[in-house]
Amino acid sequence: MKFGYVSWLPETDFMARFVEELEKNKLMGTRCKGCGARYLPPRAHCRCGSVEMEWFEASRKGKILAYTLVTFPPESMSKNSPYIMAVAELEDGLRLLAQLTGVAVKNLKIGMSVRVTSHRTPESRVVYRFETS
Amino acid sequence: MRTEKVGIVGVGHTKFGKRADATIRELAHEAVKPALEDAGINIGDIDTSVIGVAADEFAAQLSSGVLIHDYVGMKDKPTFRVEAACATGSAAVRAGWALIKSGLAEVVLVVGAETMTHVGTLRATELMARAQDTRWEYPFGLTFPSSYALMATAHMHKFGTTREQLSLVSVKNHTYGAMNPYAHLQKSITLEEAMKSIMICYPLNLYDCCLISDGAAAIILATEEKARKISDTPIWLIGLGAASDTMMISERESLTELKATRVAAEKAYKMARITPDDVDVATVHDCFTIAEIVAYEDLGFCQKGEGGKFIEEKQSYIGGKVPINTDGGLKSKGHPLGATGVSMTIEITKQLRGEAGKRQLNGAEIGLSHNIGETGQYCFVHVYSR
Repeated sequence: MKFGYVSWLPETDFMARFVEELEKNKLMGTRCKGCGARYLPPRAHCRCGSVEMEWFEASRKGKILAYTLVTFPPESMSKNSPYIMAVAELEDGLRLLAQLTGVAVKNLKIGMSVRVTSHRTPESRVVYRFETS
Repeated sequence: MRTEKVGIVGVGHTKFGKRADATIRELAHEAVKPALEDAGINIGDIDTSVIGVAADEFAAQLSSGVLIHDYVGMKDKPTFRVEAACATGSAAVRAGWALIKSGLAEVVLVVGAETMTHVGTLRATELMARAQDTRWEYPFGLTFPSSYALMATAHMHKFGTTREQLSLVSVKNHTYGAMNPYAHLQKSITLEEAMKSIMICYPLNLYDCCLISDGAAAIILATEEKARKISDTPIWLIGLGAASDTMMISERESLTELKATRVAAEKAYKMARITPDDVDVATVHDCFTIAEIVAYEDLGFCQKGEGGKFIEEKQSYIGGKVPINTDGGLKSKGHPLGATGVSMTIEITKQLRGEAGKRQLNGAEIGLSHNIGETGQYCFVHVYSR
């Protein structure tokens, strides 16, 4: 299953694993067995150099730290425009960037609670997105 | 390593703008020729070149470094190309400085160039968006305007920065761009025009965004000994600082600062043995108006959170605390990616030499250029003295 609204990167085993869980509505990060660093989105290798990583399920609840309404998209996203992009801090302290749905921009506020959900696009691609809770 | 200083002995700049009359090679030549004339030397006097071109996709040419190097008459001499997104030009200046300091060269030509307008705005937005993380952020539709817009909403929320303050940055930069014969959009604008322009990514509207431009800029660097022989008015590169940050904007510790600016500036100030208060004139990275406000703070020209007030009080105008982007900045002068950093160095050189024309300020001794790649993934700060 292809990840993201648009992408041309090859589907690696690592991404296949992430997407498989995402389709079950699970948001997976990775943790370094060496230094304990946590990554969301996940990485196959740690910044400390370690390759010993394990998957963990990240929190899917958080609060908006910043947002914008994209009315002037890149060419590849034209048909999806306009869309809201946001960065949220999740309950486990990790941060994520995604599109946000279910709220009008005028009602958006920094600090608002959101949850992360899986979504299948009309092109049968898989993404995570924020929904106001 | 050489202990002597590195001097700027020649500068050349093309008109920035829609340059359908030239491709990247002709633009580079148009910048190199006046740089050589300014220095009063021939192309044969140069040991090596460093070429800054940010994106092959814009030039529709791979290895445009050697293309430019050969075209300006330097075949057989060593060259390489540098890339650091929108900070490519400043990375090239840094590489040129290092070539001289290492002893590998005595006279270095640094060229920055980009041709962007021929691809159209939607396509250009698309191509630049691919400079972000193509696995985790680009696939969600993140563009550069939207990255900075995220910072803007965070800054507005935390510090009460207003859309009007953002627009005031644009008004200032257009004021000076109107005085720069090389600027892309040589016109001043009113606050009302700036505030009423169409929204690109809330809260950033059209006049909060820099221009997509074609252009080139070239400088010649030399050892202290050579610089004193070549030029009566060498400008010295006395402090260099650089830093980087996470590829993903979601991983940043803060969305209201660019940490790479703080780190790079600290290094540059330390090396130049100055403080922010010593800076008489600066060019800062104003790809979006919020970026200039954040730069005021991260470079130490004002306290964190007071960038909006800094522009409101006209502290970044000539006559204010630190005149900033007296060439019109990326906003009005234009932003041909690879050329921008070199162009910043040229404006500071001209201000310190007293050759900035209508926008000349009095008695500047210390200048600074600040160039960001992407959303702070790269940062280069250079400090200059007369």
